[in-house]
Amino acid sequence: MNRWMRLLLNALSYAILFVAILISLFPIVYLILTSFKPATLTFAIPPVWVFEPTLQNYQDVFAGSDFGKYFLNSILVASAATIISLILGSLAGYGFARFRFRGANWLRLGALIPQMLPPITIIVPLYVLFNSLDMIDSLQGLVISYLTFSIPLSIWMMTGFFADVEAELEEAAMIDGCTRFGAFLRVSVPLVAPGLAATAILGFIYCWNEFLYAVILTGRDARTLPVTITSFMTSKAVLWGRMAAAGTLVLIPVLLIAMLVQRYLVRGLSRGAVKG
Amino acid sequence: MGCFCMQPITARQHWRHHILRSLEPFFYIGPAFAVLLTILVYPLGYSFWLSFHEWTLRGFRAGIPWVGLQNYLDLFTNADFITAIRVTFVFVIAAVAIEFGLGLGLALLLNQDLHGKNIIRALILLPMMCTNVVIGLTWRLLLNYEFGLVNYYLGQLGIAPVEWLSQPAMAMPAVVLVDVWNTTSFVALMLLAGLQALPEEPYEAAKMDGANTFQSFYYLTLPLLRQTILVALLWRFIDTFRIFDVIYLLTSGGPARATETVSIYVYRYGFQSFNLGFASAASYTMILIMLIVAAVLARWIGRSE
Repeated sequence: MNRWMRLLLNALSYAILFVAILISLFPIVYLILTSFKPATLTFAIPPVWVFEPTLQNYQDVFAGSDFGKYFLNSILVASAATIISLILGSLAGYGFARFRFRGANWLRLGALIPQMLPPITIIVPLYVLFNSLDMIDSLQGLVISYLTFSIPLSIWMMTGFFADVEAELEEAAMIDGCTRFGAFLRVSVPLVAPGLAATAILGFIYCWNEFLYAVILTGRDARTLPVTITSFMTSKAVLWGRMAAAGTLVLIPVLLIAMLVQRYLVRGLSRGAVKG
Repeated sequence: MGCFCMQPITARQHWRHHILRSLEPFFYIGPAFAVLLTILVYPLGYSFWLSFHEWTLRGFRAGIPWVGLQNYLDLFTNADFITAIRVTFVFVIAAVAIEFGLGLGLALLLNQDLHGKNIIRALILLPMMCTNVVIGLTWRLLLNYEFGLVNYYLGQLGIAPVEWLSQPAMAMPAVVLVDVWNTTSFVALMLLAGLQALPEEPYEAAKMDGANTFQSFYYLTLPLLRQTILVALLWRFIDTFRIFDVIYLLTSGGPARATETVSIYVYRYGFQSFNLGFASAASYTMILIMLIVAAVLARWIGRSE
């Protein structure tokens, strides 16, 4: 291939990727801009891109509902589910990465099944059980329902990260008198710290974004943010301005974190795909 | 694992050691599986039982009567259920096909030596991380007939406004479009990881033999990438097959059930009519269909190894 051809192909690549970025970001940017628009401009056609930003929509969001409380609910539920599944998932991931035992492969595949099952099929029996245990509209109930997907996710990702740590390092520690569990805690866990962070962040984001379980299991008290956003769709009209402001508040933390750690996320997500 | 005992080991000690060692893995994987069994396997067993019973919000306190196969019989004679299965497969095939095509293209572009590759990848990744509810509502605004930007820009190109979400024929393309926006980057990133793991030697050999870019793509990249491709397709199948949030917020399954996938169908019977025995029967049928398709895909993956 000659030099000009190569240059042309390169330019074409950048052009296509630029369009892809534009399409990826456009709805997000549009949502954020809409949240700062005064009500008169929300539906303006042709769209107005330059305007004097207002915080009115954000004030309405906090004044009109228990938004602060639901924000806290979201943080509490996502944190609790993430911490529990990180502990259990690290132990199990380590177990799968280090030991060869009969049925190990079946168990590891079995741990993936919950991730494959449609959430609607899991929530039907959980609803009936929580209903009889009086656990509807409780934060605990919601955390339990989130563990059904966050534990499998943690096991899957942590198995890969622990497999990357060389067993010799632990063996050296064990020769120095550590028990295996001690070697696990003092040698392997610090070495997989980036993997732990990636797993925690991905698990947190999944819980933070979750809607179906939350809309079914919660009512006035334990509601989380995604359910709260839909409350701006009233039977009369959709309060687009407030919806955009609330949506922005939900989205921004997720997008910031995802940008910061995307390298690890990509590695964690794709590892299972490549190694099968 | 080393054993550094100085004294000779008696048979009894040996056995104890052996048993402890064989139990050791379960110390690590046990807790996670105990929790999963309690919160997942038990409820799923319960809903299997429930699928042969009648559970309604009004009647469940009085009792949950056994109805045999009635729920399943009702399900298979329910025209809406058949429609939901058809709608789901149309959605799955359209969305996954488009996502795969675009994703492979993006992955090949990103696999080149480009400046700013990391930042490009990070930006393209963003739609995938977004909260589904927010995606659904934002696109509902964008696709609005009167004041949505999609129709506005189509108008600029001289195309008449489209009733995206309110006309049965256009609602399916609309939800496919939103899913493509949402998850193409996932396919692209998985395929990119696969591309980066490919060995270099075959390409050098092919180059020496005078193969051009397209030939080495067709005869080397595609076969070598086969497993990654199948895994990506399997994941996307599983994910699109159970889609709920985005469609629920865009159309709630309408208009006229044109976008009512099986998940939304189960939701309607389970949590609007509160007929949970029937919803359980629908759930199990859904799982069965999913397992059959997933097993076929998994077999292809196994064969390519």
